[in-house]
Amino acid sequence: MKKILKRLFILLAVVCIPVGFFIRHEHAVFFWHKIPSIDAVFGVIGAFILIVATAILTSFAQKKEDFYD
Amino acid sequence: MIKAVPPALIFILGAMLIPILKGKLKQVYILVVPAVAFLDILYLIPGTSWVYHFLGYDLIFCTVDRLSLVMGYIFTIIGFLAILYSLHVKQDGQHIAAFLYIGSSLGVVFAGDYFSLFAFWEIMAVASVFLIWFQKDKDSLNAGFRYILMHIFGGCCLLAGIIIYTVSKGSIAVALLEPSPAYWLMLIGVGLNTAFIPIHTWLPDAYPEGTITGSVFLSVFTTKTGVYVLARCFSGVELVAYMGGIMAVYGVTFALLQNDARRLLAYHIISQVGYMVAGVGMGTAQGINGGIAHVFNNILYKALLFMCMGSVMYMTGRRKLSEMGGLARFMPVTCITCIIAALSISGAPGFNGFVSKGMVIASAVEAHMPILELMLILASVGTFLSFVKLGYFCFFARNYEIDSKEAPFNMQLAMGLTAFACLFIGVYPKVLFDILPYSVVHYHPFTPSHIFGVIQLFMLAGVAFILAKAMVVPHRATILDFDYFYRMGGRGLIWVCTVPLSNFRSTLQVRFSRAVYIITRLARNPISILEIPTAYVYLRITKGLRYVSGYSSGETYDEDLYRRPIGVGVLLAIILLFVFALIYFIF
Repeated sequence: MKKILKRLFILLAVVCIPVGFFIRHEHAVFFWHKIPSIDAVFGVIGAFILIVATAILTSFAQKKEDFYD
Repeated sequence: MIKAVPPALIFILGAMLIPILKGKLKQVYILVVPAVAFLDILYLIPGTSWVYHFLGYDLIFCTVDRLSLVMGYIFTIIGFLAILYSLHVKQDGQHIAAFLYIGSSLGVVFAGDYFSLFAFWEIMAVASVFLIWFQKDKDSLNAGFRYILMHIFGGCCLLAGIIIYTVSKGSIAVALLEPSPAYWLMLIGVGLNTAFIPIHTWLPDAYPEGTITGSVFLSVFTTKTGVYVLARCFSGVELVAYMGGIMAVYGVTFALLQNDARRLLAYHIISQVGYMVAGVGMGTAQGINGGIAHVFNNILYKALLFMCMGSVMYMTGRRKLSEMGGLARFMPVTCITCIIAALSISGAPGFNGFVSKGMVIASAVEAHMPILELMLILASVGTFLSFVKLGYFCFFARNYEIDSKEAPFNMQLAMGLTAFACLFIGVYPKVLFDILPYSVVHYHPFTPSHIFGVIQLFMLAGVAFILAKAMVVPHRATILDFDYFYRMGGRGLIWVCTVPLSNFRSTLQVRFSRAVYIITRLARNPISILEIPTAYVYLRITKGLRYVSGYSSGETYDEDLYRRPIGVGVLLAIILLFVFALIYFIF
């Protein structure tokens, strides 16, 4: 059941991308507002940046729970 | 007709009656006070009132305009809901601290001059620290001390800025500031309360250590009054706007790594306050409206999140995500309200965060700040990811060891009402738009591109969460923040004081005491000054000779043997007195 839900979610996310091509930004100011489905790209890139940032942060800033005691 | 009073007065005077009342009457009373304060705010007349002339200056306790009114409304609404949540608390001290905290925050909001603003600002710091200390354990005591030390530092900066400003301008009225030494000092003071990076460390350090109900109050007032003062005095400062962007990204990055549920929420306060700071920093009508709308919405969902995590902590005694899981079965109301709050903070369509977050991001576009727009979008992704993490590991992850019941009725009711407010504003934002500082709102939140953009953003970020879940699994660990430098600096200072400085002091003390001892001995018998070396040399020689010859008489040094009769001392004193008199009369 859990696996089916997970796969369904991924499928919906993938379907989201082509649907974005039919929707236009009302007040495009910067160039990326004109790119279709740009928010999907932001979602992936943003998650990637944050995961990398947390991995880097963990490498030097993660200490034992009683570090300050 | 009764004249409306400053709302701060209602709470501050209202706190005094709490210890007198008992039982149900007290519970009714503490709920009636915020309701009265709310009605009072409805009757406030725009303009200034309650002005007192003091030491040549006008102290203004009630300046009313659209900006202060919107803050007043939300502070009293959340005051009511948070008091409802803490209705079961038996300790009067907690209620009194909460009342003083709400009252002083309202005092800051309605203050028309910097002196009364500063006075309320300090009451706020002192009252709030008791909401941490009432937790009554070692961690909360220490975190409370660190909290108050940082707030005293911020308060001193603010006061120094106010004094310089008053001396140079000759006015104490709260107004938009222009760059000067006073401006920077006040910005540090206000920035500390608003959790500017890197002076934010008091927030994730102290808020998770507060009492279960106290943290709900803490999450609302300090940072939001900071945003209010920024909107009044520092709006339109680009540096402030970018600081908002940095706070938004910094907060979510650290939030993703937290294991303590309330520390995760505390880092999200920094992130969400970042949106507000960005909005007011832009200084445009839409920016300020967006920032203040976000204050209003954030207060609701952030308080709700602290209420939900407080309920979990209250019922299970657990505060770490690594120890939670599977609570959806046992605490359905808490789970549903927490999901509503999580969707609101993430900015999902139909929830209040969607409206105000979209407004701030749209104003960054309007103000032509592309980097800021991207930073705020990145923070949105992070917010969604960390609340998926919180919801999953708290309510849905597998944990067969856990067993719990739903929270008390008053807690459930408070959570339900707050969740309703989040939903209501989410679907009917006009009610919020009508009370924003700039009356004409040109923003339309429900456009197809905005709704679908947010859905796309979350769906794809959600896929990333599924794929990289292992990276964000909570661990039992401490993540060092800038407080590492402050704590180590503090420890270094203590070491300098206790080791080198203390050694220097004791060396000086020993030397000085010895000198005093020698002087007093010599002064007792000045005539022996010349004899001492002679006697010393004699003693050394005889001792040496005796040692060489191997003879020991057991004889020790007897000071009376060398002491002269007292008359010699008196004679010397008379001679000295005579010389002194001679010098005195001649000159």
